[in-house]
Amino acid sequence: MSFREKTAWGMGLILIVAGAWYFSKIVSVSSALGHTSPPDLRFFIGYVTLVVITSIIVNVVLAIMSGQEANAPVDEREKAILDKAGHWSGYVLAVGAFGGLWHFGWLGDGNLLFHIIFGALMLSQIAEYAFQIFLYRRGV
Amino acid sequence: MAKRPPISNRVKQLREAHDGMSQAALAKEIGVTRQTVIAIEQGRYSPSLESAFRIARVFGVGLEDVFSWDEAQDS
Repeated sequence: MSFREKTAWGMGLILIVAGAWYFSKIVSVSSALGHTSPPDLRFFIGYVTLVVITSIIVNVVLAIMSGQEANAPVDEREKAILDKAGHWSGYVLAVGAFGGLWHFGWLGDGNLLFHIIFGALMLSQIAEYAFQIFLYRRGV
Repeated sequence: MAKRPPISNRVKQLREAHDGMSQAALAKEIGVTRQTVIAIEQGRYSPSLESAFRIARVFGVGLEDVFSWDEAQDS
């Protein structure tokens, strides 16, 4: 498995765990309030901090384990994979954004709009890493 | 999605005939990663024209001695 595929696995897992933590907090607050919780800066900062710190740790460990490969520039195949995965993940973000807007149009719930858009952003990032892994394995 | 291109190649045979050149050595010669050489050999990736020429030059053969159009797979 190449260094960049390992990185994609690591980042994907980090984003899934951090996203699950963030939304578990939002759901529990929403349940307590009886309506959709407003955006909470503490959870947002917690999510970003968790992602940044664990990403640094995972990337440093993988770079040490991979040696010279970690310093090698992206080659033509890897560039094609990154471009295609980024392109496909853009559709995930677009679907999430339109879903959020559609909900807002029907329900007029700005808090829900925020959570859906933020969730779509998380999901598109996870999807980007998933597409990368798929293309590394299946070919581009 | 990820359909294999109708192009076959003899990179592995040529590499082995070239004093058993390693995938890593070939990758270094043409400026790609070892995983990309593996993907080319397995037919999971068609290299750019530039890389295809570089591969042919490493083995001192023509482009069509390395890559060929696979009619059966194309139809």
